[in-house]
Amino acid sequence: MANPWVAFLLVPLIKIVVILLAVILIAAYMSFFERKILAYMQIRIGPNRVGPRGWLQPIADALKLLVKEDIVPARAEKFVYFLGPVLVVAPALLVFSVIPFGPAFKLFGYEVTPYLTDVNIGILFILGVSSVGVYGVILGGWASNNKFSMMGGLRSAAQLVSYEVPMGLSVVTVLLMANSLSLVKIVEAQKQAGVWYFIPGIVAFFIYFVCGVAETNRNPFDLPEAESELVAGFHTEYSGMKFAFYFLAEYANMVVVSSIATVLFLGGWLPPFPNWLAAVWALPALAWIPPIAWFVLKMAAFLFVYIWFRGTFPRYRFDQLMDLGWKVFIPVSLVNLMAVGLGVLLIGGK
Amino acid sequence: MASVLGVAAQVNEAVARKIGAGLRAASQGPPDTLRLVVAPEELRSATEELLRLRARFLITVGIDARPLSADYRVLYLFSLDGEHLFVVLECAVSPDDPHVDSIAALVPGANWAERECRDAVGVTPDGHPDPRRLLLADDWPEGLFPLRRDFPYDYRPPAAEGVAPVPKQPPEGASVLPIGPFFPVLEEPSYWRLFVEGETVVGCDYRGFYNHRGIEKLGESTLTYNEIPYLAERICGICGFIHSTAYCQAVEKAAGIEVPRRARYIRSIMLELERVHSHLLWLGIAGHILGFDTVLMQTWRMREPVMWLAEEISGNRKTYGMNTIGGLRRDLPATVVAKVLKVVDEVERESVAVRDAIVGDTTLLARTKNVGVLTGDWARQVCVVGPPARGSGVPIDARLDHPYAAYDEVPPRLCTQQAGDTWARVLVRVEELLDSIRQVREGLARLPAGEVLAEVKDEIPRDRIGISVVEAPRGEAVHFVMTGGDNRPYRWRVRAPTYPNLQAMPAMIDHAAIADVPITLGSLDPCFSCTERVEAIDVSTHSRRVYSRQELLAMSRELTLRGGRR
Repeated sequence: MANPWVAFLLVPLIKIVVILLAVILIAAYMSFFERKILAYMQIRIGPNRVGPRGWLQPIADALKLLVKEDIVPARAEKFVYFLGPVLVVAPALLVFSVIPFGPAFKLFGYEVTPYLTDVNIGILFILGVSSVGVYGVILGGWASNNKFSMMGGLRSAAQLVSYEVPMGLSVVTVLLMANSLSLVKIVEAQKQAGVWYFIPGIVAFFIYFVCGVAETNRNPFDLPEAESELVAGFHTEYSGMKFAFYFLAEYANMVVVSSIATVLFLGGWLPPFPNWLAAVWALPALAWIPPIAWFVLKMAAFLFVYIWFRGTFPRYRFDQLMDLGWKVFIPVSLVNLMAVGLGVLLIGGK
Repeated sequence: MASVLGVAAQVNEAVARKIGAGLRAASQGPPDTLRLVVAPEELRSATEELLRLRARFLITVGIDARPLSADYRVLYLFSLDGEHLFVVLECAVSPDDPHVDSIAALVPGANWAERECRDAVGVTPDGHPDPRRLLLADDWPEGLFPLRRDFPYDYRPPAAEGVAPVPKQPPEGASVLPIGPFFPVLEEPSYWRLFVEGETVVGCDYRGFYNHRGIEKLGESTLTYNEIPYLAERICGICGFIHSTAYCQAVEKAAGIEVPRRARYIRSIMLELERVHSHLLWLGIAGHILGFDTVLMQTWRMREPVMWLAEEISGNRKTYGMNTIGGLRRDLPATVVAKVLKVVDEVERESVAVRDAIVGDTTLLARTKNVGVLTGDWARQVCVVGPPARGSGVPIDARLDHPYAAYDEVPPRLCTQQAGDTWARVLVRVEELLDSIRQVREGLARLPAGEVLAEVKDEIPRDRIGISVVEAPRGEAVHFVMTGGDNRPYRWRVRAPTYPNLQAMPAMIDHAAIADVPITLGSLDPCFSCTERVEAIDVSTHSRRVYSRQELLAMSRELTLRGGRR
């Protein structure tokens, strides 16, 4: 690692390309699995025409969106209309730069970290960057010069603002326990504690995930794009690649929320009960499992829950959603924060 | 029957007492129909008297009777539900100045009926609160009335440029949010302009009838008595058998034809099977509107075997082609009975499971409880029918109020709820669904042997009227027939259940959230093509160019003329 060109340019570039490709691929296939799993939940078959068992469907979808006509409404605010999708997709992808997919390992004698960077304010960075995404939604909705888009954009703004608060509070409980803002350190703290944080922080875990669903505008909180009320909400007027950006951002955000939940509450790349069952994980039959596999497995479980929600719940009404955020989640997460704080004080940081 | 005659005499007497010499004639056509000819200036008083007797307004029928008696006739159909009696108030209107007093102030539910009568026959209601065009296209020339006898059924007025519906002005400070004419959750075109302040609806305006295609006119001018059932069946895309039954019954009543008992039973069974699949369909759509597609997929799967049954019985999933004047063209095959029982058993088991699942779902409850409330009082005034009426505690059901087919022997259970909200309408429909299954079973168990068709040997006499109501899944459908020469009705009038129900919408969404509008509309189970009496068409274009609104309109009209063939 002596050569700074390699250390600061070549390696990060390779990592960026790999992470971006992986995220985009996961997002694309998430849409495929969503359609498939939802179909099975609803006694249908789902996409099965493109490629073997429909496996190439996401590729076909992406190609279709790429070549589709890009329609800009005549009276749209052109620049802002263009800016909207960019503002949505960029933060969604940027967040992945600090997510640790696994611990450092040796490759050809070099130490490789399977994440782009480990900043000491990682979680703050994520909360800050991901909040920018809502500008894309609001601006896109406003610039479309369409009432349905506008309404969808406004709803999204209200939703995001309401759910940031309990989400942030539930993240703080983890910070109390881990005593660090760095995502890598949070995972390592869970290893030291010997227990994933979702056990002491079960309430925070639950609130975090529900807020995550709300923040990604997913069912049952998919009000900004509620088809039956607002046609397609903020992206009603978007088509072609611009629409694809919104689409990509939505799925990438789901991966983000799932990844953060994995890191904060499910011990990131750690196997279950890393200390207690350490002997088991060291067995030759299991030792070959790379830590990153655990990470992906947990993330996939969250993504599955997203789809499961969609198959199970009707959509909430806007005021019901607001009530839930302000009257239930915020008080509960405040009380929970105090309880966890007290616990940390009495037992000592785990 | 004696009691019906007694009630008819009492009503006759009461109206006579009220308007004196204004009552020009009274007769009893079919035994359940009292026809009172009143002077046009006494129409309002007579209506007041009928309302005092708790009569319910059904529909207005405008008849161009110039070839018969050199006047226009406007018939106001009422129903005395408890007494199983129809009352017709008939006014003769001079052709020189066709005006009649509006009763919409007394009966809010007569609003559309009078506007339609003006559009189609040209009898203007004086003092109407909202005299805008209802039925005709915006570019239809003034002074051209399609249901007049001298208007050829195939005449096409030239299209006009630069026309638009006359919009209602939104209240100060409110903005307009369009729902329609085409909207993701509306299966058919219908244009609601919501006046909103933020997310709150403060008023609305409606323009519909985009699908009006003149089915009544066709029936009166080119088809014969026995051809009309097939057209009637195509009025609705879901409950066609309702309309063919209602039409046949109206003619049978007018002509005094006795339908064999077996045919009446089979009609009942088919009608209830239709209700089963229609209510399942509705439940799915309601779930879809609430973003709950799993319900949609499951209920439509449950519905499918019922459609297969229909296919096995009649050869078609939808348009059975079974009804004809005097009974049925096709008997129920003996082999099918066991299959019907098996299918309804399965549907019942699964429906109970669905009911238990939705009753326990708190989100569903939160989305429908106290949403789209229709008070019983307003439901009565707007003359709402079917599940929306029963959900608001109005105990009307055409199967009980005017028993037809075999409902006198296998009566339905009256399912009512008091709350008047969307949740109440869900419960009513689910209960009805289960009750329909019971009726199918009972009907099959008691199915009598015998003929299914009474041969009609004599010519159907002229100038008789027949009113028939059928409880469709969406509510009561009314068919009125006035017999004529040339082996076809002189006037055939259809009122679908959505027609009165839609008129209750503005009150139901007043000060509601926008998010509640689709499910409120959906909870009426609206069927626009019934209301507008049409068949659906679709237009597809392959070449790439820009079409103006005028061109699209012209294209779709042309396509219609080609009978939908591209």
